[in-house]
Amino acid sequence: MEKKYIIAPRGVMVLLLVAAVLIACGGCVTTSQRGDRCATPPPSTNVLLIEPDIILFELTAGGLEEPRADWTEAAKANVGKKLAEILQRTGDKLIPHQPPVNVPERTHTQEQILKLHEVVGQTVLIHKYIPIYDLPTKQGCFDWGLGECVKSLKEDTGADYALFVYLRDSYTSPGRAALIVAAAILGVGIQGGVQLGFASLVDLQTGQIVWFNRLMSGVGDLRTPEAAEKAIQELLANNPL
Amino acid sequence: MNRCKISLFLLLFCAVCVSCATPRGTPGAMDDIQPSQRPDSSSDEAGLWMYMDRIENRLKTSGRVVSDPELNAYVRQIVCKLDPVHCADIRIYIVDTPHFNASMAPNGCMQVWTGLMVRAENEAQLAYVLGHEMAHYLRRHTLQQWRTVRNTSSALAFFSLATAAAGVGFVGSLAQLAALGAIFAYSRDQEREADDIGFEIMAKAGYEPVQASQIWGDLLAEEEAGGKLAKSVFFATHPTTPERIATLRDLADKTAKTRDSWTAGREEYLHATKPFRKEWLREEVHKGNPNGTLVFLNRLLKDQGDSAEVHFFLGELYRLRGEKDDCENACSEYQKALDLGNPPPELYRSLGVVCLRMGKTREACDSFEEYLKVNPDASDRQIIESYINRLR
Repeated sequence: MEKKYIIAPRGVMVLLLVAAVLIACGGCVTTSQRGDRCATPPPSTNVLLIEPDIILFELTAGGLEEPRADWTEAAKANVGKKLAEILQRTGDKLIPHQPPVNVPERTHTQEQILKLHEVVGQTVLIHKYIPIYDLPTKQGCFDWGLGECVKSLKEDTGADYALFVYLRDSYTSPGRAALIVAAAILGVGIQGGVQLGFASLVDLQTGQIVWFNRLMSGVGDLRTPEAAEKAIQELLANNPL
Repeated sequence: MNRCKISLFLLLFCAVCVSCATPRGTPGAMDDIQPSQRPDSSSDEAGLWMYMDRIENRLKTSGRVVSDPELNAYVRQIVCKLDPVHCADIRIYIVDTPHFNASMAPNGCMQVWTGLMVRAENEAQLAYVLGHEMAHYLRRHTLQQWRTVRNTSSALAFFSLATAAAGVGFVGSLAQLAALGAIFAYSRDQEREADDIGFEIMAKAGYEPVQASQIWGDLLAEEEAGGKLAKSVFFATHPTTPERIATLRDLADKTAKTRDSWTAGREEYLHATKPFRKEWLREEVHKGNPNGTLVFLNRLLKDQGDSAEVHFFLGELYRLRGEKDDCENACSEYQKALDLGNPPPELYRSLGVVCLRMGKTREACDSFEEYLKVNPDASDRQIIESYINRLR
């Protein structure tokens, strides 16, 4: 039987495409978006911090992304810590997300919301940040949301807003690095590792995305606390909290 | 290109070849996975596990996963009978999709598709496929293959660059072809190994050996009838099935005499899957591969004897295919189902639709009325009534 799980599924391919296009387009000054028809969160609000969805890869010489468990663990710890530190300064009450125990239906609903956010976030990334994919119905406005299903998160946790963070990062292996150098000598450019991610702040009453930002960089590192802090600061730039 | 650049390039190339010789894990044979073994967190294997853990988390909440506790317990006990030592490390997900497949991820996440379950004729056939999947887990085939692909593609990147630098880029393309060949050949070897191990553990558990070649043979017959459309995911990369069937048949001949009694587990299997079969057959006829499905349904009739349900779905298949004479074919199958008694109530609706297509207005009306009579709470009552009113 088939037992092949392709390591770069559609989602990753989409992100790579987005990364390539965005790099080609050059960096914009402001990348964050504020949702239309969304009220600004009031001071000292309750924010649910969804466990950041992070995977780190090693880019092999042949260009495959090999998932790295140890790096991912380190990055999760760094990012979680820095997110909490930066947001705590705003005076908001942070509620770390914990899946409900012994309530299978609630766990099921929450898992579905995480899946939904990933799809919506990737859609925003493509249709809001790459001009040729502009949607006719979304021109000149930022009107995205997860729908009212997120109310269950509010009921479960008492939070008013939820912050979702999605990060993918790849680092060149020694083999890839050598290939890049060798190719450069021959005048050929080969892509190294890329950091790509997005964050969104969702109003748990309406499901609307109040604020959205993307992070994209050919440098940066989530494996060390200092570099992770820099990346998170950039990602959270202009957030309304 | 000047000599200096070339020398520098070659120097780097050699340096890289040395570094390639010590990557995180080399391809080739490795030890079998031990019970409750977890990979070391800095290894490539841990990376694959982490990645699959995430996909498995997503799979858990998929609407396609069959959650019925009894059916899940039934499949699990087969896995545990096959391999009591490792069964605690395996999570089984029955996925509702009409295609024939099963898969095993390196972290022990096993998928069994309902297109396989509806086709297996007895417990032994399912056990053989589950054994085949267990073999992929035990021998860590995904990791082996990942390492092959990784190392081949890495070597290839350098080789392509080196040949391009030397001005013979087309040699690089040839190398690419050869590398792809190596990857697929490797995967075929793994499939053969999984066939052997799957056979061994199913026979050891007392399942009738001949059932292993039987299920592959049935699948092949279906694919030959269905042409391109019927190509299962399974066959896409493994075209040497006749050879595999012959090997399994030889093994069965040799093994049959080693024990006095074998079990096929036919009654148990049909009993466990009975509540789901109608829905699985419905999905099967809507799959869009009528010729392959026709072979399968006729095999079911031969295997399980005349059944109103199977004749009904044969009728549905003809109705949906809609080729020349298919209206007549459908009517004849529906009639057989009616003669056998106790057919699915929706038969009358389908018969009405076919009669309408053939211009037999009166028969269509009678059939629609019968549908509403046997199915008074039909959700489509209003549509059917509007048909009747228009036709009368």
